[in-house]
Amino acid sequence: MIQTIRIGHLLREAVAAPYRNLVTRPTGAAVRSRIEETLAGSRCLTALLDFSEIELVDLSCADEVVAKLLLAGPGACFFVLQGLREDQHEAIDHVLTHHRLAVAAVPPDKGEPRLLGWVPSDAREAFACICDRGPLGVADLARAMGWLETRSRDALRSLAAHRLVRPIGEVYHPLPTA
Amino acid sequence: MTRVVEVPAHFDDRSFDSFAEGFGEWPPEPKLLFDARATQWASPYGLIGLLTAGQALAEAGREKPLLTVPTSDEVKRYWARAGFFQQAAELFELHGKVPRATTTGPSDVLLDVTPVRASEDVHSVVDKISEGASRILHGELGLEMKATLRFSMALSEACQNIVEHAGTSGWVAVQAYTFRRRLGRRVVVIAVSDSGVGFRRSLESTHAKRFGERWGDGAALEAALIQGVSRFRDPGRGQGLAFIKRFLDQWEGKISIRSGTARLSIVPSWDEDAPLTERLAYFPGSQVQIIIPAQQAERP
Repeated sequence: MIQTIRIGHLLREAVAAPYRNLVTRPTGAAVRSRIEETLAGSRCLTALLDFSEIELVDLSCADEVVAKLLLAGPGACFFVLQGLREDQHEAIDHVLTHHRLAVAAVPPDKGEPRLLGWVPSDAREAFACICDRGPLGVADLARAMGWLETRSRDALRSLAAHRLVRPIGEVYHPLPTA
Repeated sequence: MTRVVEVPAHFDDRSFDSFAEGFGEWPPEPKLLFDARATQWASPYGLIGLLTAGQALAEAGREKPLLTVPTSDEVKRYWARAGFFQQAAELFELHGKVPRATTTGPSDVLLDVTPVRASEDVHSVVDKISEGASRILHGELGLEMKATLRFSMALSEACQNIVEHAGTSGWVAVQAYTFRRRLGRRVVVIAVSDSGVGFRRSLESTHAKRFGERWGDGAALEAALIQGVSRFRDPGRGQGLAFIKRFLDQWEGKISIRSGTARLSIVPSWDEDAPLTERLAYFPGSQVQIIIPAQQAERP
């Protein structure tokens, strides 16, 4: 099950004003706690954080909202960002790289997801391959990429550790986004 | 007894040090008179530095200082347009005729002199700037469209430093003008100033030990701007200045921070400032200036 959380709506609630800019740490912390409250009452497997009503995400909010949700550890829920424009990636990418975290971001046109933040380069290639081909096992990825299976396994394990794919048995599934 | 502090004729980050020397010991005992009659021009840094002086004197419990306004009508009109007098009226006893602020169409003043007291003010500053920033940065300075977002982020982070670290309120102003003497190009300047604890005191409890005898205003600035440290133990902190520095590198921009008795700058090729200047005259709090120049067309 997927739950879409409209960040713009939570921002307006948090600051009690019609702002479209997600800036400052107190605001970021308030938005994050609203996301956590929403998810606490939900049984969703994937939370789509929808930034489409947001104009600007500064570093403080990228850290308070996205990094801290990911740092909270492997909870029940996977996170995917949605509706971020290309020019809004920078702050989130910068902050997640600093923490050695990563998240998938689905562009507003619902094109291929993009990884923001840091993963090893093999894991990044494996992520693109899974997004393109769908669920893959270690041998499938090794064949597709021309890698040894050990390399393929490491890449998939890294993606799973970053909660960027969902392992079911021996197969690694892309996160659902719709 | 009243001591006269001359406001430099050309009041910017460079002449600021001579302005700070005018105070003598801090906080000064005598009543102060800031004499701006001969001032011909002031940068946003100069204007909010002057307000910071007034604020610091009030916070130190000193008598309200006097300020004689510039003689030049043009200079006065500009200061009024930048919102200076509106804020100064609370901090100084103003002497001289002050014109009313008027706004007519698009202006080089992207953000009036604006107080920053809390996070809500940062929201409001970022909201106000967005439209004008795009017009100036993309339209006039030739920066890519995403520069507007970066610029707003820089502004947000610089203002948040006041709210998070200064322990008091501060000021911000943003303006576009032509940097004739140093660069010969249009620039946008963000100036942020507060009269708070400064970088050294803010970082002392968590970082002074590591620096040993080197610890001081200069070392604290280095720790914050170069090493990206913060007084908070949260590992996500301290990224704001590092991010600003990174994109200024791409745009040949400049950031300089003065705090206490030191100033640290990331100096682009067009400027001759010293990277680190220490043993300056003490001035309270922190003063940040970010300069983004117009991009030069690439040669074929």
